[in-house]
Amino acid sequence: MAGGIARSRLPHPGLIAAAVLVVILAAALAGLASAGGQSRSLAGSPSGFLPSPYLRGVARGAAVQAGLSTVLSLLLGTALALALARRPVFPCRRLIMAVISAATVAPTIVIIFGVVAVFGRSGPVPVLASQFGLTLPPIYGLHGIVLAHVVMNAPLVARVLLGALSATPAEHGRLGQMLRFSSRDCFRHLDWPVIRREWPGLATFIFLLCFTSFAVVLSLGGGPANATLEVAIYQALRLEVDFERAASIALFQIVLGLGIILAFGLLGARLPDTSGHMAARPRPDAGSRWLLALDALVISFVVLLIAPVLLSVLTGLGQLPSLANRQVVDAAITSILLAGLASVIAVTLALLMASAAEAAPLGRPSASRARLIDLAVLAVLGLPPFALVTGLFVLLRGHASLASVGLLMVPLVNALMALPFVYRLIAPPLRQSAVRHGRLAASLGLDGLARLRIVTWPALKQPLAAALALSAALSMGDFGVIALFGGGDLITLPYLMAERMGAYRVDEAGAVALVLVAAAVGLMFIADRA
Amino acid sequence: MLELEALTIRYPDFTGNYTLAVPKGALCAVIGPSGGGKTTMLHAIAGFEPVVSGKASFDGRDLAPLPPASRPCSLLFQDHNLFPHLTARQNVALGLKPGLSLSDKERGIVADALISVDLDGEANRLPGELSGGQRQRVALARALVMRRPLLLLDEPFGALDPGLRKAMITLTDSLRRQHGLTVLMTIHTPSDIAHAADLVAFVAEGQVQHSGPPHEMLKAGRSPALDAFMGV
Amino acid sequence: MLIMRQFVVTVLAMAAVLAFGPVLPAAAQTKPVLTVYSYSGFTGKYGPGGKIKDGFEAVCNCTLDWVATENSGALLGRLRLEGEGTKADVALGLDVNILAEARATGMFAPHGQSLTGLDLPWTDMTFLPFDHGHMAFIYDSSKLANPPASLKELVENPNGPRIVLQDPRTSQPGLSLLLWMRHVHGDKADEAWAKLKPRIVTFTKGWSEAYGLFLKGEADMVLSYTTSPAYHVGAEKKTNFKAAAFAEGHYIYVETGAMLRSTKQPDLARQFLAFMLSDTFQSAIPEGNWMYPVKMPAAGLPASFADLIKPSRTLAFTPDEVLVMRRTLIESWQNAISR
Repeated sequence: MAGGIARSRLPHPGLIAAAVLVVILAAALAGLASAGGQSRSLAGSPSGFLPSPYLRGVARGAAVQAGLSTVLSLLLGTALALALARRPVFPCRRLIMAVISAATVAPTIVIIFGVVAVFGRSGPVPVLASQFGLTLPPIYGLHGIVLAHVVMNAPLVARVLLGALSATPAEHGRLGQMLRFSSRDCFRHLDWPVIRREWPGLATFIFLLCFTSFAVVLSLGGGPANATLEVAIYQALRLEVDFERAASIALFQIVLGLGIILAFGLLGARLPDTSGHMAARPRPDAGSRWLLALDALVISFVVLLIAPVLLSVLTGLGQLPSLANRQVVDAAITSILLAGLASVIAVTLALLMASAAEAAPLGRPSASRARLIDLAVLAVLGLPPFALVTGLFVLLRGHASLASVGLLMVPLVNALMALPFVYRLIAPPLRQSAVRHGRLAASLGLDGLARLRIVTWPALKQPLAAALALSAALSMGDFGVIALFGGGDLITLPYLMAERMGAYRVDEAGAVALVLVAAAVGLMFIADRA
Repeated sequence: MLELEALTIRYPDFTGNYTLAVPKGALCAVIGPSGGGKTTMLHAIAGFEPVVSGKASFDGRDLAPLPPASRPCSLLFQDHNLFPHLTARQNVALGLKPGLSLSDKERGIVADALISVDLDGEANRLPGELSGGQRQRVALARALVMRRPLLLLDEPFGALDPGLRKAMITLTDSLRRQHGLTVLMTIHTPSDIAHAADLVAFVAEGQVQHSGPPHEMLKAGRSPALDAFMGV
Repeated sequence: MLIMRQFVVTVLAMAAVLAFGPVLPAAAQTKPVLTVYSYSGFTGKYGPGGKIKDGFEAVCNCTLDWVATENSGALLGRLRLEGEGTKADVALGLDVNILAEARATGMFAPHGQSLTGLDLPWTDMTFLPFDHGHMAFIYDSSKLANPPASLKELVENPNGPRIVLQDPRTSQPGLSLLLWMRHVHGDKADEAWAKLKPRIVTFTKGWSEAYGLFLKGEADMVLSYTTSPAYHVGAEKKTNFKAAAFAEGHYIYVETGAMLRSTKQPDLARQFLAFMLSDTFQSAIPEGNWMYPVKMPAAGLPASFADLIKPSRTLAFTPDEVLVMRRTLIESWQNAISR
């Protein structure tokens, strides 16, 4: 027992991980700020840390855009989750789910070009609409941004909600059958409580993703009226080479992001155990005809909305032979290794932090600590990868060259970028396992690794596999980080795609995009099974 | 009268084949080793298991064509009988109207049911604020308002302290007499129920191996499997 | 597997570097290594980087190592970050619009090359040009029969072609158009932007997204370079892509190289700068970087360049003017477009 007490004095490794995360973010900001703003003094423009009216305007516009994107993603994702929960079996369900889920993790540029291919001037949708005498407005503008964000985020909402819905006790479904629940009662008593519990956390997460969106906003926004602070940060870093300004905008963005989370108290209630035994969930409303029609409508709408965006990469099929060369193969291997490494780091961090959030030294997890850890995870979304990397590099300069840092930094930063996603997948089941078995484990004196093996692992096997696949897919599609380090020997598939595009080789880039989307679909196929 | 005639459920790793007769108004205790098929039998009667052959009938009426909502039975699970977002009163009211819009008369029925399980003081609490025993009593009250003649209880009090368990069984027994219910109850500790049960059924390996009055069933020497289960 | 081994080596090296820092001596090399920072389009598979590396290594008895960055701005940003400790001996690809910032870093040394015989007027003694081109709007002549004949016409014809542009906040071509508009419209540039706005499809992050959207049929014209049609002729044998010649003249785009003050191998770096103006280097530019060389190769320009338009006038601001104007230009452009 003495050993146990001595051990419990050490901070939980997850707390250390959370602290390291916060230190990394703060260090990156400090690094940026200390690098100075030379060009500004040169240009003689006004300075100051208070955000200018321009930045405030950008933030306001971005908030409207993110709000719209969030509401629509939540609505469509929830409709999809309910439809899928009611229809556990239909042809190609897993494949369809994998294709749709890939929209969340595919490279942004692929989504942009996919949206344009489907909804753009010569895409099938406007052409079809004109057959019916309708003239659709061009895709560029607020609606284009929101559309792309919905395509990317609705599947994420559906995944998370479907997981939560299928974690409700099977008994509740049986009760519904026994008590003659109508489809309305089913929604009210079976689905709505789960939805209401999950929405705040999902909304916060998606809002932050859209609030800090970058390439989608620029490419589909149609002009500077639609912008995010991320654009301003990029401008300061790349065009003005003004690091101090970049740091102050990034700080403004982080403060806003955290403020949004706190102000709305949207961290999602950390509710007690809701899980029954994992069995097929009976759905009393599965027989309702009009629900069958609704589900068919929702599923086909989502499939028709999202699948073509991803399937548009199939135009790269003809160019696949152009990829049969050493450089592409090497890039693929590099991508796989970096993505594997990043996903292991991300999942390890998420696991440590989530278990620190649930660790209960006195038998009851501390809600405030859990919330702080949740915040730290979400804070990652506030700092764009290029600002993070630049800031960290400022601190490391003189100690190592950027080239040699790259091999470490790429997987590390990719892991940090994937962390909020992965944490969302891992934290809820861990919380459930802690609530269900925490006391038992404590009473048996299970601690540390033994507890992990006996209590946590069985509950987490599947979410962990899903998290690994998801973070690997995200890292695989990353361009933001590799753009800073790529070149030489460090060439990944997205890097290659950008390089080919930059050299007029749009078709060849399309073939690389096809490979990347195929990889994303494959990984999401694995994640869905898990 | 509840009659099971070679009621068969088949899974890759489990086959249940049940034959049993329980007289109307009787309390039948179902005992047997874990994994022996007790829960499956109850679920099959309630309509939650796909029956491949055989027959279950109540008062001569074949249950097979009836969906769970139309069967003459209500089932209490070991856990998760209540919806966590609804109060005790609302959880009971679900038994009358899942939409929860009750008439004054129905509200009276719910209140009476809560009184009969001695929970009228806790009507506005959420399940999370109730003890395990209180939660099961709420579920029992709901079963009462559903007014179905056959009550199936799947180890409903297994998680309670021995004293509380006895009290719950006594409560169930008195409600049975009051409402003329036929009760089928799986139970882990046969001694709890000996005084109340009219009939004991021993289920192992997916079959009702023996059934009979408690004093016969709980005696040693009936069969090696039963002896092994009873620990004699 | 190579990358895995490399990764392990790097981790170990990082640990060693962090532990011992500058004490660690540089690894012995049989040949001197010249490290040149450039951008990915230049060093990539289809860029001129490969030919230039081979050509230089054949004469220098050294090894040339390319380090690629995303673009011109990223190149300068990285150099500024690395400061005196940079591994770079030469920076290749600093564009003309960023030269004032580059000069202000004080990191670059005079090139020491003769500027006679260049195809463009140039006097800068630090930054040496290696290629150039003019901004132009590209169109598909099989779809657009009558392109505008001037920037004014493009701006003022309400039924004119729809165009896709690059965002001046994130890309050099985008900034170039801002300067071009300013040059042509002067103080009325904001009004011109407001008139043009309805026909702007979108502003993309960089050149390649815009060009990609154009090729996918999203716009009738795209902002690119006068040399872009040469790519379609040379690499794809397509002659339908043309640059529209504008009467006011075209804004110039020049890419330069410079040696770092901190280089440990000034002679080798200077040798490379001289090589930049050599026939080997310059002849790799047209069909490698799809730009004009600054010194005509002996063999002349490739056939794909034969039908390109020749701007009637070259428009340019000096790098110092660009530095002073940029922030206000971008802000007033934002106002004009957002209105």
